[in-house]
Amino acid sequence: METHKAKKITIVAEKLIQDQIQEILRKAGATGFSIFEGSGEGSRGVHRQSIVSDFSIVKIETVIVDPAIVDAIAEQVSAAYFTNYSCIVYFDDVEVLRAERF
Amino acid sequence: MELVVDFAQTFLGQFQKPTLAFLIGGVLIAALGSKLEIPDAIYRFIVFMLLMTIGLKAGIEIRNADLSALLLPAIFAAAIGCAAVAIGRYALAAAPGVKLDDAIATAGLFGAVSASSLAAAMISLEEDGIAYEAWVAALYPFMDIPALILAIVWASMLRGREGGERRTVGIKKIVLDSLRGSAVSALLLGLALGLFARPDSVFESFYDPLFRGLLSILMLIMGMEAYARLAELRRVAHWYAVYALIAPILHGLMGFGLGVVAHHLTGFSPGGVVLLAVMAASSSDISGPPTLRGGIPGANPSAYIGASTSVGTPVTIAICIPLFIALSAVVF
Repeated sequence: METHKAKKITIVAEKLIQDQIQEILRKAGATGFSIFEGSGEGSRGVHRQSIVSDFSIVKIETVIVDPAIVDAIAEQVSAAYFTNYSCIVYFDDVEVLRAERF
Repeated sequence: MELVVDFAQTFLGQFQKPTLAFLIGGVLIAALGSKLEIPDAIYRFIVFMLLMTIGLKAGIEIRNADLSALLLPAIFAAAIGCAAVAIGRYALAAAPGVKLDDAIATAGLFGAVSASSLAAAMISLEEDGIAYEAWVAALYPFMDIPALILAIVWASMLRGREGGERRTVGIKKIVLDSLRGSAVSALLLGLALGLFARPDSVFESFYDPLFRGLLSILMLIMGMEAYARLAELRRVAHWYAVYALIAPILHGLMGFGLGVVAHHLTGFSPGGVVLLAVMAASSSDISGPPTLRGGIPGANPSAYIGASTSVGTPVTIAICIPLFIALSAVVF
């Protein structure tokens, strides 16, 4: 099968800023994204299921073919949220079928 | 002397109530390392049910009530909420090792209201046969929203003055966010339904009977959560714990005082005075923290949530509710 190169951006952040990050992804041109809920720990503290659901974490994954969009997303998310919120961003090189979908 | 004995007896009698027992049970069971967990979804459902019930009852009663009697307590509620933020901003921020943002955020939470404390207070009053106007619950947003707005706007102003990042604070957004929060939404929905529809039958057959049972489970959860947050509170300056211990009692007494004024001016019932005092004493655990986290992002959540959930709410439920019920017995 023919595969195409793309980049997967993974953003793991607190649920509180999930909506804003989704906005950034949409505006930057991502065709879609997937969200997974979870818990964990980091330099800012423990994120666990607690009575305040906004403080647990979500993993947002999006696969993008165009490197310019990848840079735009990384820049905007880091500028807006790295200082005050729990948020990490990392990249993977992936291969996809149907490059026109990403 | 008899007053003191009466007071002590009423106060101590409160400790045997199921509300407090479940709270302490939750703390103990968590402290012993139990793996008991009440699922998140159940907890959120319980908060919805409790506030819906409170709202329905208030709405049903408002149909027959004189709404002008609501005005003065509403003004007092807003005043106490703001005063609490001011006290925290000056008193707590002055303590060594306490950052200004964290202090204002903590004060904001303590100015706001806790749904669990309100529900617990209502049950305690009912068990003692102390009557109260059901519409007192409608005072919740009047105290909650001004306190949170004041805290967020103040923090933003102070940050701007120090040359830090000054973000334009949208007050309308904060108000909308607060009104859309899960707790206030349920309350307002219940109020509207009680007022405009005829939900009496479903209220009497379903919502009201479940209230006590659901509250007991909520107390259990709050106890477990209080213990869990203790580890976070330990990581910040111990002044937060001191503040969280004193502030509920102080704010509650202020609320009680203003409530007595309302009693003499507009006939506010003794039960209503106790509820106003408990609302003043309580610190928001559910809806306040996300609003503050969004409005004052630089503040450390371990400080304000730890202070409110680990010390503030337990003190309000365990000490303030019995205290103000006993106080009302001697004053009225």
